[in-house]
Amino acid sequence: MGNGNLVFEIFSVAAALAIIAMLFLANYRSREPLAQEVVTSRGYALRRYWFWLVFAVAVASFALTVPYFPYPRAGASANAKHFSVVAQQYDFAVSGVIPRDVPVIFDVTSKDVNHGFGIYGPNGAIVGQVQAMPGYVNHLPMTFTVAGHYTIRCLEYCGIAHAAMQGGFEVR
Amino acid sequence: MSADVVNGRAGMRVMWTYIGTGLAIFSLMLLAGILLRAAQAGWLPVDPGTFYSILSLHGAGMIVAMAIAGLGTLWYLVRRETDLDERIAFLAYGFFVAGVISVIVSVFPGRYGSLWTMLYPLPFVGTYWPSWATGTWLVGNALVMLGFMLWCAQILGALLARYGGVRGMLAIDYVFRNRAFTDSGGKPPPPAMFAAAITAFDGFVTGTVGLVIGTALLVHWIDPSVAINPLWAKNLTYLFGHSIANLTMYMAVAGVYVGLPMCTKRAYHTSPQLAVAWWATLLFVIIAYFHHLYMDFAQMQWMQFVGEIASYFAAIPVVVVTVYGGVMLAHRSGMRWSLGSVFLYAGMIGWVVGGIGALLDATIPANVDLHNTLWVPGHFHTYLLEGVLLFTLGWVFVNLEQRADAVSSLLTRWLVGLGMFGGGALFLLPFYSAGAAGVPRRYAVEPPPGPFWASVATVGAIVFVAGFAICVIEGIRLTRLRKSEEAV
Ligand code: HEM
Ligand SMILES: [Cu+2]
Repeated sequence: MGNGNLVFEIFSVAAALAIIAMLFLANYRSREPLAQEVVTSRGYALRRYWFWLVFAVAVASFALTVPYFPYPRAGASANAKHFSVVAQQYDFAVSGVIPRDVPVIFDVTSKDVNHGFGIYGPNGAIVGQVQAMPGYVNHLPMTFTVAGHYTIRCLEYCGIAHAAMQGGFEVR
Repeated sequence: MSADVVNGRAGMRVMWTYIGTGLAIFSLMLLAGILLRAAQAGWLPVDPGTFYSILSLHGAGMIVAMAIAGLGTLWYLVRRETDLDERIAFLAYGFFVAGVISVIVSVFPGRYGSLWTMLYPLPFVGTYWPSWATGTWLVGNALVMLGFMLWCAQILGALLARYGGVRGMLAIDYVFRNRAFTDSGGKPPPPAMFAAAITAFDGFVTGTVGLVIGTALLVHWIDPSVAINPLWAKNLTYLFGHSIANLTMYMAVAGVYVGLPMCTKRAYHTSPQLAVAWWATLLFVIIAYFHHLYMDFAQMQWMQFVGEIASYFAAIPVVVVTVYGGVMLAHRSGMRWSLGSVFLYAGMIGWVVGGIGALLDATIPANVDLHNTLWVPGHFHTYLLEGVLLFTLGWVFVNLEQRADAVSSLLTRWLVGLGMFGGGALFLLPFYSAGAAGVPRRYAVEPPPGPFWASVATVGAIVFVAGFAICVIEGIRLTRLRKSEEAV
């Protein structure tokens, strides 16, 4: 949530490391060839550790990110204030001014096709999003800490004016 | 003429027909892609309707192009192991061609514009194109699917017969009772056959799902009073769409299994790890699509959790076995860096880099920032353009080089490399930057900083095309080199 830059940095570093490592392993003309058996036996020996490393990183990333999942938690809905959002080709109807620093829940649906309810903060970064699907109401829990004007952009292709489908609300 | 030569000829005919068609469609779609990116940069005046019609064609056309090329390679490789009737391959090809024509007609002159995802109820509500175009698009897709399933059925049947049922085809005894199996003289299928088996099996499953949702949409098209549940439609659409797109990678990787050993003069054998990795892939291809519905909070929640962990685990077979094995093949082999081997090796790098982008996007808290932003086309263009395409081209060049007994000059290699990797990076990086800044995907007109990054990307794409053009000319030169020698 608002972490696009962080993700981009992680990506850049990881991608650069992967590219360098693989180019290094390719060993462009630099050293004597080795017999395949030698490379394979070394490779297989290393692979065990590599497997467990990748496995551990996968499980750890999962465990570390679960607490930050954006889904509504059981019970949280009861005392939060609800705001209804109805998406329709090609605009959003949001009810009221949103209070700052308290948990709110957007009840998001659509009247026609699938849309995406994307909330962009006063600084232009995405702060939250949820799909708007006809026949369903998606509950998006949010707590806004910054007052100002928030822009809504459609984040699911919905027809010819998809790119122009915008809305907004105030947080005070 | 020996039976072997005749066999080889049939395989070659099918393979080059498929690959030639795939690359021809690819080249056209490449130009469509540049048009789209230039429009987003504000350099070309393209109205939104035209933009979305061309985007629909570009997305579907590219996936089909890469799939046809991959299926051709696999068909040839399976044909080397067992008997296959060439006529079925050409029948399937007929379905592909008919389907592609139908899809093209739905866009020109039909102006269909619901994209390749055709997410219900979009193709029917508030459209700017006539209803017949939706029908033609759906029929075209169904034809391609029928051809694909015919291919899958033929390959599955042949592999099951050749290796003794599912247990043999998937090397189950080889993994669990390795000693007994090898002692009794058993041999597991070679690596490329796993790619063929998984493509055929998962292809059949996803093809069936595609036909189910496609038929439902067609029924709704004929009788609008028949309603479809949008959440079900979305699940089926992405199960189908994600898996097909993902499978193009597993088709093309067969080119690495066979092509890289040709370059390195090393052998690539099946190991129990390789077999297990492909079993995992068999499953992950089908369930990884869950990440497309992370932002649908109405989806059952366990699917979101499984989606994240399954997306992570899907990387394990790739980095621990497939790419790892490919790197071991190349590592200190003293091979010549011809265009073919460079493409195959670079394709593995593109696969890994695109995979890193995918894993970050498959992390749910990050997905909140990235879902349906340009990050998404960023990661999949990385492994389609610098992965699947390079595997396909690498396989083609390894074969051309071998038969011409020649490689391209250093200058040619540098020009192609600079164009296709340098231009490619310049085309791809802006997707990630703009995506991280929250610029949505599928916007005919983008909010800032979208247009700036789009102009950088357009330059990159043009450089890429220049490199690709040199690569095509070089390919033709190598082909003719062989012809003239044969004439001598
Ligand atoms: C230099 C070559 C290419 C260029 C310039 C290009 C350009 C584009 C552009 C501008 C988009 C729309 C991005 C957005 O705003 O959402 C797009 C989408 C897409 N492209 Fe490409 N592309 C290229 C290569 C490829 C390749 C090689 C493939 C597949 C093998 C591919 C498959 C797709 C798909 C599946 C979409 C998504 C369509 C959709 O959102 O419905 N593209 N491409
Ligand atoms: Cu929209």
